Amino acid sequence: MTDVIGSPRREFAARLRRVDPLPYFFILPIALLLAAVSFYPTLYAIWLGMTDATLLRLARAKFIGIDNVLRAFADPVFLNGLWRTLRWDIVVVGAEVAIALPIALFLNRNFFGRGFVRAAIVVPYIIPPAVTALVFVYIVDGNFGILNEILLRLGLINHYVPWLSEPTSSFFVTAGAMIWAGTPLMVIIILAALQTIPSEIYEAALVDGASSWQQFRFITWPHLLPTITFLILLRMIWMSNHIDIIYIVTRGGPGFANYTEAVYSFMLTSQFQIGYASAVAVILAIVLMAASAFYVRHLARSVLS
Amino acid sequence: MLVYSLAPLVWILIASITPELRADSWSSGRTVQFFPSQPTFQNYIDLFANVPFGTYFINSTIVATGTMFVAVLTASLGAYGFVRFRFWGRRTLLFAMLMAYMVPSVVLLVPLLVIFRAYGLINTYPGLILAESTNTAPFVLLLMINYFSSLPRELEEQALVDGCSRLGALWRIVLPLAIPGLVAGGLFAFIAAWNNFLFAFLFAATDATRTLPVIMRLFALGEPAVWGISAAGAVVTTLPVALVFFLFQKMLISGLAAGAVKG
Repeated sequence: MTDVIGSPRREFAARLRRVDPLPYFFILPIALLLAAVSFYPTLYAIWLGMTDATLLRLARAKFIGIDNVLRAFADPVFLNGLWRTLRWDIVVVGAEVAIALPIALFLNRNFFGRGFVRAAIVVPYIIPPAVTALVFVYIVDGNFGILNEILLRLGLINHYVPWLSEPTSSFFVTAGAMIWAGTPLMVIIILAALQTIPSEIYEAALVDGASSWQQFRFITWPHLLPTITFLILLRMIWMSNHIDIIYIVTRGGPGFANYTEAVYSFMLTSQFQIGYASAVAVILAIVLMAASAFYVRHLARSVLS
Repeated sequence: MLVYSLAPLVWILIASITPELRADSWSSGRTVQFFPSQPTFQNYIDLFANVPFGTYFINSTIVATGTMFVAVLTASLGAYGFVRFRFWGRRTLLFAMLMAYMVPSVVLLVPLLVIFRAYGLINTYPGLILAESTNTAPFVLLLMINYFSSLPRELEEQALVDGCSRLGALWRIVLPLAIPGLVAGGLFAFIAAWNNFLFAFLFAATDATRTLPVIMRLFALGEPAVWGISAAGAVVTTLPVALVFFLFQKMLISGLAAGAVKG
């Protein structure tokens, strides 16, 4: 009467014995790695964000709960940072897509030397961002920047301008560098999406007398829309995280002009205020990861099916 | 369009062979030439003489190669596990790992800084390699999962039927087939690690361990007063990555299209 076949406990034990440990051994290395350098630090960052830790007095950090969050929302640099981050995202991603689309459309046609042109287009993306930043700093330099020289000769300015010293122009220089470096990725992805459109559709449309514009509007664009939407979303998320180029070109800009949230957190870290820096970073992360969770779930599903 | 793409690069190349371009503020009246009247390679020589550039180059190489191996090893094993087996927690674990990929580096800066200090990993190669893995390992994982999914199961099944162990099948059948994918993943990891600035800047700040992108920043601040040297440095920093890219273009570009998200 005690052990009826199908009793829950027995079934569970039986199922446990049948579990094959082998897949877990394959997963183990990367799981350990990511646990150590991603998961645990993230939890630690959340914890740190709730203390008043500084790098110098780490051992005496006090738990202060959400005080850092309250401080952030009263902090003008933080609040302006929200706007600056958004501005950075929109300008950079908008320009990247606007420039990438025509290029991708162009590369979709077969022409002589296409492989070479495509490779040349991708080059800016492969270059170390630090180098890109250096090159742009060099080009816009107030004393011997080639940009000034060109503008002078075109008669657009009267004398050399120190572009990086003005908030507005420094923003555009930095954005320009980022756009220059980031557009190739967009081109490649849009191009890949374009190449999934079967050419028969275009041929059929041509037979029906559709103009190029109509073909674009009714065939190409609807087909691209989902890809481009995803692309914009992801790229904006990534731009919100970006620090490298902004930091190297402007170190935050004249004053705080170029302080996006990510840059702000970074600057706080270098000033040793790691409790507050963590809080800012975690706030940023929560917003971004909420947005990216949808994509990740979709990705995990599509990859595993 | 080509002009747009290549112009800044051509300029930096020219700059690197320009002699003696001083960053003096009082010479603002002087005009900039498009091409130097006396091109020279002296800047390259000065580069290695005045700045411990050779050390930095070696450091970058070590870190990038190390990251490549760590990322490819862990990610390919993990990818194989995810693709070839169905096990409890499969979806959740993958989701978790991909979320790790999405964690902004900013968030990790502080904790890794504290943790590394505690374990003495600051300014060491292993420390930097570990840090870079946060970005590269999940991306290579994604790449390898895509890749393994496209390999036919039949060959392994055949080997298993013939009496091979799972591991044996992996070693003898899958591995040779997987080499193109592994190479692609490795290259991406290498490039990402070579180009990385943020972690290198924070976790390898001494002259002995500094990597190239960090020097780029110092140059941007006007460190050596001769811009020609900075430009030469930029060219040398870019060369390995550019070389890798040109040799493996097709592979890299299709890999980008397939899985690149974070860049």
